[in-house]
Amino acid sequence: MGGIPRDYIINRAITFVLTVWIAATLIWIIPRLSPVDPAEVMLGRMASGGAFVEGSDQILEQLRERFGLNEPLWVQYLLYLRSIITFDFGLSAASFPTPVSSLIAVALPWTIGLMLLSVIITFIIGNALGAFMVWERTPRIWKVVIPTLMIFTSVPPILSGLLLMWVFAVQLRALPLTGSYGLDVVPEWSLDFAMSVVEHGTLPALSIILVTFGFWTLGMRGLMITVQGEDYVNLAKAKGLRPRYILYKYMVRNAILPQVTAFALKIGLLVSGQILVERIFSYNGMGKLLYDAILDQDFAVIQGVSFIIILMTAVSVLLVDLLYPLIDPRIRQSAERVA
Amino acid sequence: MIVENTGKVVLTLKDVSIDFPTSGGLVHAVRGLSLAIHEGRRVGFIGESGSGKTTTALAVMQMLAAPGFVSNGEIQLGDTDILKLNEEEMRKTRLRRVSYIPQGAMNSLNPVMRIENQIWDAIIAHEGNVPKAELKRRSDSCLESVGLPARTGRLYPHELSGGMKQRVCIALGVSLNPELIIADEPTSALDVVTQRHVMQTLKEVQSKIGSGLILIGHDMGLMAQSVDELAVLKDGELVEHGTVRQIIENPKHPYTKQLISSVPLVGGDSFLDDSIGAPPVNRSAGSEPLLEFDNVSKTYGDVTALHPMSFSLDGEVPKIISIVGQSGSGKSTMGGMMLGFTPPSTGRVMFEGADINRMNPSASLEFRKNVQAVFQDPYACFNPFYRVDHALKFPFKRFGLSQSENHTEEKMFEACTAVGLDPSQVLRRYPHQLSGGQRQRLIVARALMLSPKLLIADEPVSMVDASLRATILKNIYDLKDQYGISILYITHDLATAYHVSDYVIVLYHGHIAEAGPPKEVIGNPQHPYTQLLIDSIPWPDVNRSWGTSASADEDTRTLAELSRNTQTVFRGAVPGFDLTIPGRLENAA
Repeated sequence: MGGIPRDYIINRAITFVLTVWIAATLIWIIPRLSPVDPAEVMLGRMASGGAFVEGSDQILEQLRERFGLNEPLWVQYLLYLRSIITFDFGLSAASFPTPVSSLIAVALPWTIGLMLLSVIITFIIGNALGAFMVWERTPRIWKVVIPTLMIFTSVPPILSGLLLMWVFAVQLRALPLTGSYGLDVVPEWSLDFAMSVVEHGTLPALSIILVTFGFWTLGMRGLMITVQGEDYVNLAKAKGLRPRYILYKYMVRNAILPQVTAFALKIGLLVSGQILVERIFSYNGMGKLLYDAILDQDFAVIQGVSFIIILMTAVSVLLVDLLYPLIDPRIRQSAERVA
Repeated sequence: MIVENTGKVVLTLKDVSIDFPTSGGLVHAVRGLSLAIHEGRRVGFIGESGSGKTTTALAVMQMLAAPGFVSNGEIQLGDTDILKLNEEEMRKTRLRRVSYIPQGAMNSLNPVMRIENQIWDAIIAHEGNVPKAELKRRSDSCLESVGLPARTGRLYPHELSGGMKQRVCIALGVSLNPELIIADEPTSALDVVTQRHVMQTLKEVQSKIGSGLILIGHDMGLMAQSVDELAVLKDGELVEHGTVRQIIENPKHPYTKQLISSVPLVGGDSFLDDSIGAPPVNRSAGSEPLLEFDNVSKTYGDVTALHPMSFSLDGEVPKIISIVGQSGSGKSTMGGMMLGFTPPSTGRVMFEGADINRMNPSASLEFRKNVQAVFQDPYACFNPFYRVDHALKFPFKRFGLSQSENHTEEKMFEACTAVGLDPSQVLRRYPHQLSGGQRQRLIVARALMLSPKLLIADEPVSMVDASLRATILKNIYDLKDQYGISILYITHDLATAYHVSDYVIVLYHGHIAEAGPPKEVIGNPQHPYTQLLIDSIPWPDVNRSWGTSASADEDTRTLAELSRNTQTVFRGAVPGFDLTIPGRLENAA
């Protein structure tokens, strides 16, 4: 066996660094193609605050200085690269002078808590249902119930979110309507606070699970049908193995492999993917932060959030690349060949 | 149909019928089949695809593909009525009492599980908790019984060769000493040398445990060398049953006779009609050779697929050059380079004096028209969305040969007739509505319509039923005689190469082992590798010794020891074809 070859790991690490670098460069270039001067936007914001801004030209100059806009482009670029490595994305324009990094630091745990958990739950439920749709021993009732449940897949998440709010929060009054935690608890490591977080997270999580599990179910169903026709499943039956054992060790074990790759890509998208869910539930995560930043033309925040999204995608792809040889022995060998 | 037997009966089929309800009505896959199999006996089920041989075997395992079911009759395994068992009882019967060795050994093992785990899970499924050390001991001895080292158990399936995987499947099949083993074309994906080795291993372990064996196949030669009794099936009915000697030496049913005669023999009567003399092509002498390999070799990374060689085929008189060898010998690499699909690593491939890898677009188009190909898989060569006439018309028009729609139709009809197809029957159909043999003949017709100068035929008949092989080869052979097309015939089948070719090249690990006219090379082989290939071919001759597993082991070892730099044995030349091995010109005498 001998684990994963070192050259393979180095190879993947280089790919990771390159991906992040290219993406970071793109998010630096794109705003610079826009004719908007961030310093003027900011000044405009101050002016719209009501009062006349005294010495506006001077302030404009100071702001440009502060943002480094007077430096040559390549210096700006290098400064930018240096700052993003240290997660310094500058100051938010909308909530000046809060650093973008601290805004993200507040929002990220909420998103990771809610989104990552719901994506993992969706992955498990979706794949299990997909597998059961194909398995010949699944009770017939499930083969009717599962496709029916998939109606939700065609419902936009906002609608399902509103529906869930109406049923559970308004009619049944079982769960809170919006927010990340109750106003009656203090954010601290206490049982009350934890309970409140779970209560508030349930509805948004449920709305995400409902509308996205179908993606995994349909994918898994297709993969299972392919695997079901494989000779090794046939031989497993001829060997007299127990049906449940064949399902797990021969069918699901092989069918799940491409799903794992798709999962890595989904993790990266989870921040941006459910912006509206966070918005309607007033959930203080990355999605809401991004949504507000776009409305406010807060470039620094948009840039910071985009970079975090890219970083998360790249990290999850790297993790899956490194884990994949452990779950598929065939990759281990071709990895050796590449190396 | 009387077979004398004294042993205990392990399987009784009584008037078994198997039906498949389809949208087009009930299909009777097997009709009124009765047969008894005794312990220690090997019974061959022979017939073409669709004859019901595999369906019958799967019925014994209770593993018929839905919606098939046994509509009538009894299946008795020993004293047990298989059809009366419930699902759990049937599960316990599989492998423990009747085991199945599948056809596609390539994909029959779970790719993410070590070999030994796939033996252990079978033992555990039937015997419950067995201590790990005991499992290990048993899997090791299982693997050793089929001639595999115990460390094979620690490997994953993709680390094994096709022959090794097939032997793992045999090890699995005998792991619980069943009363009956069903082997469904266990060697169809293997080359002759490996086939002999695997068959002998199977025979040996089967006689050791004394079980009955059903060997399903379509190759009369393999049957003659492997089984005691033969059951000949046609369209779901048992047409003849007897000892293999009775049936081969004195076949009663015309279908059996046809099966026996369709096996091409080395040195036997030719299935070709030589009466038509070859017309010389309109190629003036002294012009550039039709196809030329100039010091060509091919390497993939560290692996040398083909060692340097040069040849030139002048094409003045059309010829069939056969390239034979096992899988991995480099023969398909050669074909790929002739077609310009893969560029050579060194040297040049020339067609009529031009390097085919450096042609301008118009010359390249002309080259594509002049060099046509027929590949192994007739299923994969058609776009399933178009009727087959589209596949025939399209290249004809694309190459600008069509003068009018009528002209195209006329040419298409002519080509179909030339390969023995009735144009009105096949042309308006979709590929899936045609048989493999019809599809392969259409591919030949398609090539013919373009009046090529050269045809590359890469294993054109290896996926076609035995009875059709001779017909299709004859079609291809006629291209040479009647249309003056030179042909490169790439195959692993030495017997057909013996009959159709003017010159034979035997490839081994990318080296030319032996080359010359077929009567010499195949009729009287000198190189040890060619000799081994010829010895490994199963013949429909019960008296011929096919060796033992030990001798096959020995042969495999000899083969491994054969220096990879083994000298090419030249067995004489034919006019119009020159072969030289660069750096070893002194041998070319």
